[in-house]
Amino acid sequence: MKKINIPQEENSTLDGHKKVMYAPNSSGKFQTFNYGSNIEEYATKLAVKEYEELQQECLENIKNNISSPIEFYMYKNRMDIPTLASIVGFFQFRVKRHLKAKYFNTLNNKVLQKYADVFDITIDNLKDFNNEK
Amino acid sequence: MRNNFKHKQFAHCESGVVSTLLSNYGLPISEPMAFGITHSLTFFYFPLIKLNNMPLIAYREVPKNIIKNIDKRLGVKIYKKQYKNMTEANNELTRLVKEEKLVGLQTSVYYLPYMPEDMRFHFNAHNLLVYGKKNDEYLISDPVFEDVVRAKENKLTIARFAKGVFAPKGFLYYPETIPKYIDYENILKKSIKKNAKSMTTPFPFAGIKGMRKLAKNIEKIQNNNDERYIKNYLTHIVRMQEEIGTGGGGFRFLYSAFLQEAKEYKLNKQKLHTSSELITKSGDMLREFALKCVMGAKHIDILDSKEIAKYLIEASKIEEEAFKILKTI
Repeated sequence: MKKINIPQEENSTLDGHKKVMYAPNSSGKFQTFNYGSNIEEYATKLAVKEYEELQQECLENIKNNISSPIEFYMYKNRMDIPTLASIVGFFQFRVKRHLKAKYFNTLNNKVLQKYADVFDITIDNLKDFNNEK
Repeated sequence: MRNNFKHKQFAHCESGVVSTLLSNYGLPISEPMAFGITHSLTFFYFPLIKLNNMPLIAYREVPKNIIKNIDKRLGVKIYKKQYKNMTEANNELTRLVKEEKLVGLQTSVYYLPYMPEDMRFHFNAHNLLVYGKKNDEYLISDPVFEDVVRAKENKLTIARFAKGVFAPKGFLYYPETIPKYIDYENILKKSIKKNAKSMTTPFPFAGIKGMRKLAKNIEKIQNNNDERYIKNYLTHIVRMQEEIGTGGGGFRFLYSAFLQEAKEYKLNKQKLHTSSELITKSGDMLREFALKCVMGAKHIDILDSKEIAKYLIEASKIEEEAFKILKTI
């Protein structure tokens, strides 16, 4: 049986945990081994960073009256449009519109409350949005 | 609470939960067996379905495949329930753990309180076991964690009732009856053949053909000028393989382990042995492929996407050979 290299690298995304994988042991029988992979670490970190970058870009767009706070909270909660649409229960085209500042300003409280529930915030967080970091 | 419960860590959540559940209810079965018997190995590449603007790529069958198929294959009876009402869901769970029953739950990774911050994404089909309750906290055995964990009832409820794709709706399950006799030879034969058939399907987006389709698409990104997209695209492939998957082409190793274990039954040992080795080789090739993807994302200036795609094509060739053998088992 071909020998499989079991990586023992640091993976900070797991908060000190280690995952297991199957590999053949010295006598060729498969068993689980703890491993740590910096390939996984890199891929995970990049995905997390992408959401952070999208948030930053969105803040800029909110300032310029292009994007709505809903878009900011969408990225903050690591969602994309299909995910948000299915959670909030609207069609995607509608959600897409709500991400734009000019449509956002016309939304009533009922719709806003639905988004606020999804993001676990209040309507005021959406209405009087200031980057509360 | 079950005092005699022993937590075990697994490579994959669903096969791990099913293995522990059945073993605890009197039918000892390993994780690779649970995975293999439910013919869970696959490859999917559907560019039309997007996740965060990235194509859907999967290295194993759709979530819940193992839970759905294990009873059919083995003849065990599994109690399965989804709920509309959260209180009802919690009452039943509390009652079951008080009866010392071990139960499986479907949850969203994003809302599990013990999940590391960087690992929180909206994936609704994470499986875990509840083995007890203390005050308002459930005692949890999460198969991909090293040790047992806990979650407050209100937090776990949010994770059990997350909305969106694969919404769990409080899904709860545990085995009710275990058959006295299981005809493993026949079952294994059928399962292996079924998996071989799905891997060699003529449908261009699945199995070996799907791998080649993705490889072609990777070759094309050489002409893409959007660096940010390329970076996210390459690491997305890795994440679907390594992390949503089980580490280092892990599903391939899991399946090889299954084929190795199948040798204990009256099947063609030589065929199992050869194909197990081949699929191990493919798993290793996929890890190499993941490494190349990450290297490509790190050094876009010297990106050679044809070179990266070669590893995936190579893996598809190895798997084609393996599953051609397995078709005749």
